Amino acid sequence: MKLAFTLSIKNIFGAKLRTFLNVFVLSFSFVVIIGLKGVMDGWDDQARRDSINWQFGQGQLIHEDYDPLDSFTILDGKGLIPENISGLTPILVHQASIYPQGRMLGATIKGIDLSQKSVLLPTKALINSKYNYPVIIGKRMAESSKLSIGDEVLIRWRDKNGTYDANRITVVDIFDSNVPAIDSGQIWMSIETLWQITGLNNQASFFIADKNYKHKPINFWKFNSQEELLKPISDLVAQKNGSQSVIYFLLLTIALLAIFDTQVLSVFRRQSEIGTYIALGMTRQKVIGIFTFEGSLYSVLALILATIYGFPLLAWFADVGFAVPPADQKMGIPIADTIFPIFGLKLVFGTIFLVLFASTVVSFLPTRKISKLDPILALKGKKQ
Amino acid sequence: MSKGYPIGGKTFMALKNLTISFNEGEFAGIVGPSGSGKTTLLNIIGSLDKPTQGEAIVLDQNISDLTHKKAAYLRNINIGFIFQVFNLLPVYTVYENVEFALLLQQYSGKERKKAVMEALDWVGLTSHANKKPDKLSGGESQRVAIARAMVKRPKILLADEPTANLDSENAHEILSTMKKLNKELKTTFLFSTHDEKVMGYLDRTIHLRDGNIEKDIIKKS
Ligand SMILES: Nc1ncnc2c1ncn2[C@@H]1O[C@H](COP(=O)(O)OP(=O)(O)O)[C@@H](O)[C@H]1O
Ligand SMILES: [Mg+2]
Repeated sequence: MKLAFTLSIKNIFGAKLRTFLNVFVLSFSFVVIIGLKGVMDGWDDQARRDSINWQFGQGQLIHEDYDPLDSFTILDGKGLIPENISGLTPILVHQASIYPQGRMLGATIKGIDLSQKSVLLPTKALINSKYNYPVIIGKRMAESSKLSIGDEVLIRWRDKNGTYDANRITVVDIFDSNVPAIDSGQIWMSIETLWQITGLNNQASFFIADKNYKHKPINFWKFNSQEELLKPISDLVAQKNGSQSVIYFLLLTIALLAIFDTQVLSVFRRQSEIGTYIALGMTRQKVIGIFTFEGSLYSVLALILATIYGFPLLAWFADVGFAVPPADQKMGIPIADTIFPIFGLKLVFGTIFLVLFASTVVSFLPTRKISKLDPILALKGKKQ
Repeated sequence: MSKGYPIGGKTFMALKNLTISFNEGEFAGIVGPSGSGKTTLLNIIGSLDKPTQGEAIVLDQNISDLTHKKAAYLRNINIGFIFQVFNLLPVYTVYENVEFALLLQQYSGKERKKAVMEALDWVGLTSHANKKPDKLSGGESQRVAIARAMVKRPKILLADEPTANLDSENAHEILSTMKKLNKELKTTFLFSTHDEKVMGYLDRTIHLRDGNIEKDIIKKS
């Protein structure tokens, strides 16, 4: 081992420029892969946290006929609030149209219990309002409907008998959330007001659970745990992550090709050295081991270099975050203006392991030639 | 034994059915013109090659039967090589080049140091221990090679035209060094050479021509 180590160090530092290039490219891959993956992990974490805080709470109890992703289920997907339940915030979903500046816009009214503490929606702003029909909307909705705080807008809906009714609602607050699902096309008002204007007294489409909720099976309602609700988000992030793998793959390929190339050249040029090792009584396996070790040493040096410049760089990156281009924010999944990357142990050590492993394999492959080398020709300096 | 090389569908016989034995502690040389089979013979004795017919028995081991690993072990412990082109490891210092042979064996650090310094002393290069091979003259390089081959005190030392790249002064110096080591350590020395200067030092001269032994002359002492 001492032998392999000293020999490799000496050889590697003998070829300074080549070594530097190999090590630099590889260290660059380390930093970029960890950086990009960190952004993804940070996004995943932020999206989960925002979704929990704004939308999912500790899980949702949903009417068995209601599918949040299918607006055709809104009409039938509701029922009377069961008795003796606790730790649940009822929400009734109802369809409506609003007419800002004469345009017609489809909207979903969500009536919510104003005293709720399950999610961050600023429902308190609706309590004791001086307006008859106060509502809150999110910044996306405000932007698409061009509504500001204090604006009145005409709203039209059908009551429980299917008869059209209309009134004027007033925007009393605009909240800033990263979760499009509770924002785009959504209008939040008191559930009691919604009961009153629709006649759907005491009905709800779903409930948001808080920490006090203990689930027991209950007729007509099904419970979706927090994890189940979050799954599509994590799946989407994972999918994005997958498409980014192309970048990792290219980077690693370039770095590994450089090592591979160095190794091929090294085995070719150093044939008389290899012959000498064999003549001195080294087994071919040991010679292969030395050359492989030498190649994989590049990744160790790259790791050291990556730590030197990558650690402060990534630490700074984690601090200032990654500004998301506005276009990306229009995706249907929660995404903040700035994502703060998270560099977890699993990510860092996983990447290190991957790069070390791959570079060792790539270092090994060209050295297999050594086992076929004729030591006599090698000693004579004849290239094989 | 015989050794044939396949060349374009035919076999070229580099060694033709020759029989020879060497005695322990001998200082013997195989002499003959270029292409006569000297290197081939030494390589077989050194277990780097195998005869195609017959047997080569080295230290009670049949070379043809050795696996790669067994052959490596034989060379590691019992056989030292000296080459025409020195073949020092360029990234190592003189000291490390000599130490290298011991790193393949189970020596403690202290034993290694003692053995390496002693070997450098044999060849008069203790003061060059920290130099790199590219800072050495040809004669010095070959002396390092001798130290590297002898540091493990092998039973057999094989030197393939060791003086071919040296001037006559260096050639004489190297030969007297080897002769001295042969006396002190009882190592068997086998040379290949077509250098007249070498022949004067040999106790036994085996003349090879076209893969056959022409003459085998033992000098009376
Ligand atoms: N690998 C080989 N393939 C074919 N012919 C070889 C090979 N090695 C040596 N020879 C031939 O065998 C003969 C003896 O070679 P060698 O032992 O190197 O001679 P010497 O060392 O006496 O000059 C030469 O004619 C040489 O061309
Ligand atoms: Mg020869």
